[in-house]
Amino acid sequence: MTGRTSPIFGNLDWTVTPFTDVIQHPGSSTIVGAAAASILVLGGIAVLALLSRKGWWGPLYRDWLTSPDAKKIGIMYIALALIMLARGIIEGFVMRAHQASALGTLAQPEGGLVAPDHFAQLFSTHGTIMIFFVAMPLLIGLINFVLPQQLGARDMAFPVLNQVSLGLTAAGAALVMISLLVGDFGTGGWTMYPPYTGKIFSPGEGVDYWLWAILISGMGSTLTGMNFAVTIFKQRAPGMHLMRMPLFCWTSLCVAIMLIYAMPALTVSSAMLALDRYAGFHFFTNEAGGNMMNYANIFWMFGHPEVYILILPAFGVFSEISSTFSGKRLYGYTSLVIASMCIAVVSFTVWLHHFFTMGQSAGVNIAFGIATMVIGIPTGVKIYDWMATMWRGRVRITTPIVYLTGFFLLFVIGGLSGIILANPSIDYQVHNSTFLVAHFHNVIIPGVLYGMLAGIHYWFPKAFGFRLSETWGRRTAYLFVGGFVFTFMPLYVLGLMGMPRRSPTFQNPDFLPWMYLAAFGGVLMLCALASLIWTFWTSYRHRADLAVPGGDPWNGSTLEWSTPAPVPEWTFPCIPQVQARHEWGERKRAGDPWKGTAEYADIEMPANTAHGLLIAIAAFLLGFAMVWHIWWLAIIGFAAVPVLVVMRAIRVIEPRIIPAAEVADVDRRFRQLVASLPGATRADEETRRNRGVPDISEFAG
Amino acid sequence: MTKPNTGVLDPQESASSEIRSYATGFVVSLLLTVGAFAALLSDLPTAWKIGLICAAALLQIIAHLRNFLHLSLAKGQSEEDLLLVLFSVCLLAIMAGGTWYIMSDLSGRMHETSSSGAPVDQAPTR
Amino acid sequence: MSENRLYPGLNLGATHGEAHEQAETTVFGFWVFLMSDLIIFGILFASYASYLDPMGMAGGPGPSDLFDIRSVAIQTAFLLIGGIAYAGVSLTLKYMQGRGKLIAWLIVCALLGAGFLFFEVKDFISAAGKGGTPQASGWLSSYWMLVGLHGLHVLSGILWILAMIVQIATRGVDDVVKVRLSMLGVFWHFLDLIWVGIFSFVFLVPLA
Repeated sequence: MTGRTSPIFGNLDWTVTPFTDVIQHPGSSTIVGAAAASILVLGGIAVLALLSRKGWWGPLYRDWLTSPDAKKIGIMYIALALIMLARGIIEGFVMRAHQASALGTLAQPEGGLVAPDHFAQLFSTHGTIMIFFVAMPLLIGLINFVLPQQLGARDMAFPVLNQVSLGLTAAGAALVMISLLVGDFGTGGWTMYPPYTGKIFSPGEGVDYWLWAILISGMGSTLTGMNFAVTIFKQRAPGMHLMRMPLFCWTSLCVAIMLIYAMPALTVSSAMLALDRYAGFHFFTNEAGGNMMNYANIFWMFGHPEVYILILPAFGVFSEISSTFSGKRLYGYTSLVIASMCIAVVSFTVWLHHFFTMGQSAGVNIAFGIATMVIGIPTGVKIYDWMATMWRGRVRITTPIVYLTGFFLLFVIGGLSGIILANPSIDYQVHNSTFLVAHFHNVIIPGVLYGMLAGIHYWFPKAFGFRLSETWGRRTAYLFVGGFVFTFMPLYVLGLMGMPRRSPTFQNPDFLPWMYLAAFGGVLMLCALASLIWTFWTSYRHRADLAVPGGDPWNGSTLEWSTPAPVPEWTFPCIPQVQARHEWGERKRAGDPWKGTAEYADIEMPANTAHGLLIAIAAFLLGFAMVWHIWWLAIIGFAAVPVLVVMRAIRVIEPRIIPAAEVADVDRRFRQLVASLPGATRADEETRRNRGVPDISEFAG
Repeated sequence: MTKPNTGVLDPQESASSEIRSYATGFVVSLLLTVGAFAALLSDLPTAWKIGLICAAALLQIIAHLRNFLHLSLAKGQSEEDLLLVLFSVCLLAIMAGGTWYIMSDLSGRMHETSSSGAPVDQAPTR
Repeated sequence: MSENRLYPGLNLGATHGEAHEQAETTVFGFWVFLMSDLIIFGILFASYASYLDPMGMAGGPGPSDLFDIRSVAIQTAFLLIGGIAYAGVSLTLKYMQGRGKLIAWLIVCALLGAGFLFFEVKDFISAAGKGGTPQASGWLSSYWMLVGLHGLHVLSGILWILAMIVQIATRGVDDVVKVRLSMLGVFWHFLDLIWVGIFSFVFLVPLA
């Protein structure tokens, strides 16, 4: 950077790319940076070439980018998350590889694969990406896809708003991605604590990338939460009382509540930091009455509920799969509902445990320490409920059950280390060490990642009409479990030995064996990622063998299994009348669940619109322009949003009508197909005989 | 006073009752606002002034919710909205109260103030 | 939709049929959004309180140097009357008393909001003239952010009113416009509510 802001290009010039870095300072660190940027560029070119060659631009625009259908929006969220997941895992591997080669001496303390500043960018982007652009889109996507179907609704309460939320999240993700190629990312960790991240200590564009990615995607998440809450309160099918909702809907409601009330705190802390950086305010500066401790306070007021935003949907998924794959009714439904709601509310009372060592009195620490231990109780209730659900069930060891078992074993260990950390006096010993790193990976990976992958595996046939390969699914699951154990268990040991987190180097040779072990775990995680990609690819190639047009491949008991696979855009030919908690299961028990309706009506669906796409583009331009101080572009991006909203508001928008005849035709053909397919028993579940029509005489749940 | 709107009232009567409700809310808000400003300008001790201002604010917020935003305990949507507001206020109380608890404790430990609560004279060294 | 489930007060009566039912979902959603907004304001209030001490003021100007109690009273009057003026919009809409009257009431609201903004900006300018810029101290940063954010809300409320007037003029008072006017009403009254907090806790309490 030249230090001069151009009126047209802001702070941008040709020296900001990693390619110029590698030419100026060749070395392993800059080569890694340039390689990452090359992957981004080549990947982008490959995607563009593929889309052009196959002529997919039109379908992509018409069927996906402009669709307000919650199911498609959900799939797009998950696709976004998986792309970001690939980057996050690769970054994690690079960090492990670096630390395995980072043994320094007192004479030459720094070594290893990447430079310290590069390492700091790696852990900052890794954390930011994994929390905000992998875990959040995964769970929001899964909820978008599943929630309306389970509630017996056709769509979200506000379909176009949903599209806008997706757009904002994608714009934030794009900002983080482009930081690979243009400029640097921040080095303050995923929490970006000031005053280090203030203008004085971090004058570059890095923190601004983080700020705008978070502000923009955070807005999207708040709107999503509102959409979920209203959908659950107002769009349930007739007869679907709150206490009849499947548990996944309940955990979605908890997520919605936490998104609505926790995201504002993140918005406030980021906005304050942005004002400090851009306008010279003194919220968190060292001088002039700033108080950086207030940042930690406000940030974690969001940050702790966020942890439960991440974990609760996974709890919902585990509730569904433990019941379905054991062929049993969910044990302790009411206790699970109460436990979920308790977690949602109590999660707002524990945020101080993230900064026990900041200097407040012991009394304050103890108050929050006790609240932290209390929140373990409802979580324990849930674990017992799932185990009781599987107890004496006819458990099939499918991929989701492998994930669930891995979750049982590992999550409990993570929870226990959390209870250890909840004690302030112990926290003083191990805070800021890799013990903490091991703890939160130990809850988030088995919780969120396993839960979401299990959910994807479970609901994939509903979205695309074919199952994922069980063989490769299980291999992926084993690799993720093994990779986790090898990567993070050594970090517990290292933390107790005194290894600080986020440290680019260490001088104690005793650490080295554990570092090698963790690096081996990193290799396994890379293999797991490759295996996950291969699972999708090989399943796609064998889609004819894996097809389940009957739509109920697992003999489920909730409403989403009553429709064809892939599910039509209107989901239900007519809105179901719900009579019982496990409606689809009860219908199976009553016999002939696929009974058709006599009458069909026209269905109103929201019309396709480019609204969300345009707002996403405007938001991305705003963020990018603010990062690089390109003020004219920032003003255009900022003004474009209200203009787009008003332009849409002025027009009268007609819904799309799907005529009753078309619905009736599709539905009758589906029912004939189901009648013609033989019922598959549970023993046949993984074979070609599973065409999505289960043998309902076997249904016991 | 506000009646829950069941939608089938005689339009004329309902209109005038609603106007009355708005008028009541307006008068109450006006009195409470004037009261708060008057408390500030009065010669009462500081603690009294603050107490009166806070009480007036609380009452006025309730009057706004009731007469302008039509929240009530009557069954139906107005109750749902009221519960939503109360739930939000609970969470807000946790967050704002927690902030006050943490930040005042921290500032108490960072800066010595004399026991009377009066600030120490010298400014921090900058 | 049974009759006792109808949305109360602010919006529409049963005679409005479909708009009324749609209002239930949409206005409820807007309430949820406002609650999220309320949390933002709540955290800013708490931060303001935490910076309101000699450390936070860092030797810069304090409340008694900057606050003009008379101007605060004038702003309060503008907003309170502006809030009650929206009752005109709600009742005109509910009893279908004509498009002209609706637009007239909306203009009254917008003008009162603009009056509020005029005095608020004047206050900001005079504070900055006395050295009370947001760059002067942590306390002033939080003061400008909290009061400024409320001012931005009022500004967006005015822009929303103008957008509604355009919509009433171009597409008439159809169901969608009715629902949006109901949401605008909730928003406009909500701003009043926040202002009660601001004049009490930001201005009056520190001066007491």
